[in-house]
Amino acid sequence: MSARTHSVPTFGVAALVALAGYSALFLAPTERTMGLIQRIFYFHVPSAWTGFVAFFIVCVASVAYLLKRAPKWDWLAVSAAEVGVAYFTAVLVTGPIWAKPVWGIWWTWDARLTSTFVLWLLYVSYLLLRTLVSDSERRAMVSAVFGIFAFLDVPLVYLSIWFWRTQHPQPVIGGGGLDPRMWPVFLVCWAALLGVMVLLLRQRYLLEALRHQVQEMAMEAQMGDQSESFENKQVVRAKGAQ
Amino acid sequence: MSLARAAAIILSKELRAEFRTRELLNTTVVFVVMVIVLFSFTFDPSSAESRRFGPGLLWLAFLFAGSLMLHPSFAREQANDTLSALRMAPIEPFAILAGKVLANFLFLLLAELLLLPLFAVLYNVHVVPVLGRLLLVFVLGTLGLTTVGTVFSAVAAQARMRELLLPLLLLPALAPVLIASAETTAGLLGDPPRLDPNWLAILVAFDVVFLTAAWLFGEYLLEE
Amino acid sequence: MKNLESLMAAYLFVWAIFFVYQLTVGRRVARLQAEIERLKETLGQGSR
Repeated sequence: MSARTHSVPTFGVAALVALAGYSALFLAPTERTMGLIQRIFYFHVPSAWTGFVAFFIVCVASVAYLLKRAPKWDWLAVSAAEVGVAYFTAVLVTGPIWAKPVWGIWWTWDARLTSTFVLWLLYVSYLLLRTLVSDSERRAMVSAVFGIFAFLDVPLVYLSIWFWRTQHPQPVIGGGGLDPRMWPVFLVCWAALLGVMVLLLRQRYLLEALRHQVQEMAMEAQMGDQSESFENKQVVRAKGAQ
Repeated sequence: MSLARAAAIILSKELRAEFRTRELLNTTVVFVVMVIVLFSFTFDPSSAESRRFGPGLLWLAFLFAGSLMLHPSFAREQANDTLSALRMAPIEPFAILAGKVLANFLFLLLAELLLLPLFAVLYNVHVVPVLGRLLLVFVLGTLGLTTVGTVFSAVAAQARMRELLLPLLLLPALAPVLIASAETTAGLLGDPPRLDPNWLAILVAFDVVFLTAAWLFGEYLLEE
Repeated sequence: MKNLESLMAAYLFVWAIFFVYQLTVGRRVARLQAEIERLKETLGQGSR
């Protein structure tokens, strides 16, 4: 089942990724002031955008769970949260790699990077929360409420940190405006990252669905054993009565 | 029973329960004092620096204290399962949450006001000329803190390691309140004192967004 | 050129993160699928 139905989109995304890498490294024009290092931008910024999309999915799935109570929405929420954290990790790793050659220091408390850090921590605590609630329905419920609140916080975090930075300026990671020739490359890279996100989401969702299935089958097997032993007891009792 | 009346009754219950022993209030005040004093050991609070760092430290102390004192909000109910009793009462579930938010808000605000004169003395800042506007900032900031804090307290109450989990959930989420409140306070204590309307707008936005979210989604946390 | 190293490091890290994530999830999926096959057999035997 899985191998064939998944291979077409997987190849599609792989091709998109190859195209994105090639354009970012070779096709895109070289930036005047920063040179080669600026090309990190093509993955640094779209990773953040993709992370947002993932966290938006967490919010939508959380609302859907609260309204419908179907476990599949909880599976989608946790998958999207993990994938989102992965993307933001990429942002937090590429930021300092960019900053060091350009500014000479690893971290500059730049607005975008700082906000990303705070949000990364927020969603890591979402994942941590889930590990600390044992009952699956309760876990789904509290995660859903937290997931909604977390997403509502996103614009406020960005707004407050951005405004804080305009009052206390620091070196900015990411440089200034975008040369119009760079836009197509940027968009292709973003499309590639979105494609990868969908693939990762699907896999992770499958993992949750399988976990659920295993749990149910294990319970069924257990009940089967119990009713078997019950039957055996009946047989023994019947034999004893003879 | 109307929502307002139900919430008011819950509020008075929380207030009476706390003022019988005042243990939460006392502990919170002492904790904030210690945090403020300890912060001063890490740098020299002579006038120029203290004016710059003071407001940030003050709000950081409030944030830490808040996240610790919010924990009992729902944890207290679990000992005798009084939450189930509350749920069975003929009131809207949101009234329970609203009552607790108001109670936590009043407790934390009271602690902050008790600490303000001490802070003014220790850090040599002139609080009296801007007292009214400072109060406004305290109210808006504390409201944001306790709204999100009470909801997350209900979340953490259902998990293990809740004493550690609650600050973990709160601290990143409350970053906007921390920044906005600290900056506004710093502006008011600066020379000349100014109340930045942008920061105020952010505080108001935070409060509106999360009060609405608590109203829409909070009651799910109180279900059995 | 120093900047080239940083650029390569950045690209490598980004893809490494997603690759490792995909790998760990994929491995757990495979393990669970094997578990399901095992359980199917057990249940198949039990129902006789």
